[in-house]
Amino acid sequence: MPETLRRRVAQDPLLQLAPLLEIRWGRVVRAVGLGTATLVCAIGLAAAAAWLIARASQMPPVLTLSVATVGVRAFGTGRAFFRYLERLASHGVALRGMAALRANLYDRLARGGADVVALRRGDLLARVGNDVDDVGDVVVRALVPGGVAVVAGLGSVLLVGIFLPAAGAVLLACLLVTGVLSPWLASRASASVEQRGAEARGEVAARTLELLEDGQQLRVAGRLAQRTDGLRAADRRLAAATDDGARVSGLSAALEAGAQTLAVLGCLLLGIPAALAGDLAATELAVVVLTPLAVFEVTTALPAAAVQLRRSRAAARRLVDLLPDDAPPHREPEAAPAPDGTLLETAGLTAGWSSPKPVVEDVDLTLRPGTVVALAGASGVGKTTLLLTAAGLLGPVAGQVRGEGLFVAEDGHVFGTTVLENLRVARADVTEADAREALAAVGLTGWLDGLPDGLATGLGTGGTDVSGGERRRLLVARALLAPHRVLLVDEPAEHLDAATADALVEMLATLARGTGRAVVVASHRLTPLGAAAEVLLLGHDRGAPDRAAQVVARGPHAALLRDVPEYRWAAEREAASAPASAGP
Amino acid sequence: MRPLDPRLLRQARAARSYVLLTTALGAVSAALVVVQAFAIAFALGPVVVATSPGGDGAVDQAAVARWLAVLAGAAVGRAAVAWAQERFGRRAATAVVADLREQVVGHAVALGPRPPAGAAPSDVATLATRGLNDLEPYLVRFLPQLLLTALVTPATVLVVLGLDWVSALIAVVTLPLVPFFMWLIGTMTAGTSERRLATVERLGSQVLDLIAGLPTLRAFGRELGPAARVRTLGESSRRATMGTLRVAFLSGAVLELLTTLCVAIIAVGVGLRLVHGGMELVPAIAVLVLAPEIFLPLRRVGSEFHASTDGLAATRRAFAVLDLPVTDGSTDGERTSGAAPTATGLAGGTLVLDDVTVRAPGRDVDAPAHLSARIALGSGEPGGGRVVALRGPSGAGKSTLVLLLLGLLRPDHGSISPTLPWDQVAWVPQRPAIGPGTVRDVVTDGREVPSETLAAAAATTGLDAVLADLPGGWDAPVGLGGVGLSVGQRQRLALARALVGAADRPVVVLDEPTAHLDARGEQVVLDTVRTWRDAGRTVLVVAHRASLLGLADQVVDVEAREVARA
Repeated sequence: MPETLRRRVAQDPLLQLAPLLEIRWGRVVRAVGLGTATLVCAIGLAAAAAWLIARASQMPPVLTLSVATVGVRAFGTGRAFFRYLERLASHGVALRGMAALRANLYDRLARGGADVVALRRGDLLARVGNDVDDVGDVVVRALVPGGVAVVAGLGSVLLVGIFLPAAGAVLLACLLVTGVLSPWLASRASASVEQRGAEARGEVAARTLELLEDGQQLRVAGRLAQRTDGLRAADRRLAAATDDGARVSGLSAALEAGAQTLAVLGCLLLGIPAALAGDLAATELAVVVLTPLAVFEVTTALPAAAVQLRRSRAAARRLVDLLPDDAPPHREPEAAPAPDGTLLETAGLTAGWSSPKPVVEDVDLTLRPGTVVALAGASGVGKTTLLLTAAGLLGPVAGQVRGEGLFVAEDGHVFGTTVLENLRVARADVTEADAREALAAVGLTGWLDGLPDGLATGLGTGGTDVSGGERRRLLVARALLAPHRVLLVDEPAEHLDAATADALVEMLATLARGTGRAVVVASHRLTPLGAAAEVLLLGHDRGAPDRAAQVVARGPHAALLRDVPEYRWAAEREAASAPASAGP
Repeated sequence: MRPLDPRLLRQARAARSYVLLTTALGAVSAALVVVQAFAIAFALGPVVVATSPGGDGAVDQAAVARWLAVLAGAAVGRAAVAWAQERFGRRAATAVVADLREQVVGHAVALGPRPPAGAAPSDVATLATRGLNDLEPYLVRFLPQLLLTALVTPATVLVVLGLDWVSALIAVVTLPLVPFFMWLIGTMTAGTSERRLATVERLGSQVLDLIAGLPTLRAFGRELGPAARVRTLGESSRRATMGTLRVAFLSGAVLELLTTLCVAIIAVGVGLRLVHGGMELVPAIAVLVLAPEIFLPLRRVGSEFHASTDGLAATRRAFAVLDLPVTDGSTDGERTSGAAPTATGLAGGTLVLDDVTVRAPGRDVDAPAHLSARIALGSGEPGGGRVVALRGPSGAGKSTLVLLLLGLLRPDHGSISPTLPWDQVAWVPQRPAIGPGTVRDVVTDGREVPSETLAAAAATTGLDAVLADLPGGWDAPVGLGGVGLSVGQRQRLALARALVGAADRPVVVLDEPTAHLDARGEQVVLDTVRTWRDAGRTVLVVAHRASLLGLADQVVDVEAREVARA
């Protein structure tokens, strides 16, 4: 048992993440200490006030009360003071932890070897921000309140127990109800709501999005009312899940609300006979009975703490899953340079993701200065996988890559900064003149002139919107500025109309020849591929569609048009539908 | 900021019953608080008096037992109230959120395809899902405490007034100080904390932006560069946040200081009056127990306040959307009946476009610009169909023209008459909406359609090839938004639906039907368009490619024109 327990503790995602938070425990102890001082003041106020009025009712000389009156006032003042300091201290710990976690996450992800799979899942990344906040919240909402509850709760049990041990036991029992049972129920309720409600919530979100995005066509088609009913039904299912959770959390709230009064009742039931028997002084009876009224403040935060702990654990698990394995291998320092002026060379290269089946098999490719190669083939055949592997971003399943290339992703990131800084991602010393030249090369001069602040215009989140076509061209411009001599460009034509798309591919080809670079272009459009010296057509062997894709034909565009019927058929279709100006 | 938006009560019926329930429960808990205080005082007081030095040691045990029973009843009552608040409060809160969500979404759709700023689908989607979900903590946690403040606080003050007017006076003097000091601190720090909050958000989003851009940075081999920057950004973010918190927590501290100090002063005052014989012990205990209860709801309001601001902001944004007037005048009722021509009128009719101009949103471009054309519609008889192509480069306003023809959008200049009545149009946009259900449900739209008709439609549109790949064929479930289908497959499904349904919809509008298709998919579209024409229908098609243009009986050229900046 201890073995399994130890393993479970070791696998707790929050503990696994703890080193990345760089928590200094001294600061946590300080926050717990301040929180305890706050509650000592609250409980002290109640106890001292109880003693004061019980003693005062015996009409002693006023001077005998002076310590108590000072104590009551001091506790009354100190509480707010300590509470303020505790909140600052615990938030300080949490914020330090979150900052460290973000930085360490970035570090680990950046150094995480060739694992681009996780990084390409945009939804996961989008959640990182919330998850980091959730993990940080564990300090403020769970760790510190939990520590304070244990220290202050036991302290007040001791205080009451000194006067009347049985009453101390009653108080402890009631504190266990509000501090353990009630939080456990609350956490269970929220878990059930989140699990059972997740599907309904997802459906509500999906239906909301559908109504908003497709609302106009639904109106025209007369289907709007039907879809709105669907949303209402999904919301009702969500309400039903919430309702089931509320049964349990209602119990938790009831226990919490009743326990305090029950503790007072218990102390009265035990204290009155003890006092009448002479075992307990009148003033002590007042303290024993009235102190519990203030004690339960120590556990009020705990149901929320338990809920937070569970959420934070789930968030931590997502973050742990995102992290590459420990001791990540940094990307190999440049693969052995290819011989005699060759910029990049693959030999018998088989590329694939972590799944057992490779995606593309046995590709030989030699890129020299000025080489322009095109990868053709249907969407999903494996062009992107092959480019990623050639760029060294994905480890080869078999075969070799020698040399180095820049992968220009179809969905490359436009950073939330200026146009110029976005281009400087390629190279830190890009000048304004370089930037203008590169933008001109991709036909973005007009766009640049239309921007309010030119190169200093902010893009991305909170900045100027970039349309799909502008974005594609901006990404290509950025690639042109990189020092890399091999550009591996994935679908540069996506989101562009045919003429612009073809012009962009031809521009890439001209540029490669003019500057001694090599370019590989992956494209499902065939028309512009005449610009390439060689086209590699990827496809599946007709006899074995389950096998990895292979190069089914290679050669100049013209030769493929002549010799490969399916290539010709597809190209003719395209040519027939393209504007008259396009085509070689 | 108003703590309770009256429009919430007006607009959401569920909100009204929720507030009523919470008010009733609040009144009960106010009564219970008072009962509990008296029960404790009457049970404890006589025993303390009797066992004090000089006391006679005799107590009316029956009376004490009665008060203990009352206390037990109060415990049960408080538990019951808390249970009911949680049990029914959550249900009511979800109902309020659902109600508002439906209203906001419905209104946003009615605003048409070019909603004003702040009502764009992505903004409204965030508001209607995450934003309105923030309303739940506000309703479940903040609002009840607010109502308790309004009920329990005055009730307890009144009871204390009856027991010991000096204590009541102290409480009454302190109470207004709380909001006053909070307001004072709030106004003194409003500017700085908002500025700081903006800084914090900016810094946070920069870090996330860098993480999101990691694949790109790695491709350039520059992923290690920003690591130090992430750390400094985090450090400055922390410092800025702490600055905000130091100020934000100040108001909480003042609230806490005033309320606890007030309880302490009441306790000391009661003690001194006891010494001088100016007061009995039983009312003194009752006052001591009640004094913190006067301030408890107020303190909870303070601590839940931050949880509530998001919900309140969401409510405000929701009402901002609901307040936007529906300007395009194209309410569903008007579009399907009334002025629009009837089916017989539409067949063989002509759409007249006169100098139609629309300013592209956010650009100094008119797209389309000054478009005049007469679009003749088909006769509706077999052989009398027509294909009308809308041609122009990207961004010329072809899709806008479709919206104009459908009356979803009004031209900024010029006129279109008549616009197409919706019940006579089958519209296949670039991204067709595919609802949840089976393939058959989607294609037939829930009507009875002979299987031969379905098979023919599937053969024409190439849906048969899609069906062959789908497990279950016609009965294969397609999820919300056609999950699991490629764009091309969705398109074929939508074409088949338009083909099957077009019998009673003489005009078919296709927006860039070939944009996402490979060569083979394009052939399917051409075949479908021919089928429609042969059946006598009018096909309005936005076309890039020569193959579709070659099929057209009429080509309308759409152009954009830059306008001089003002």
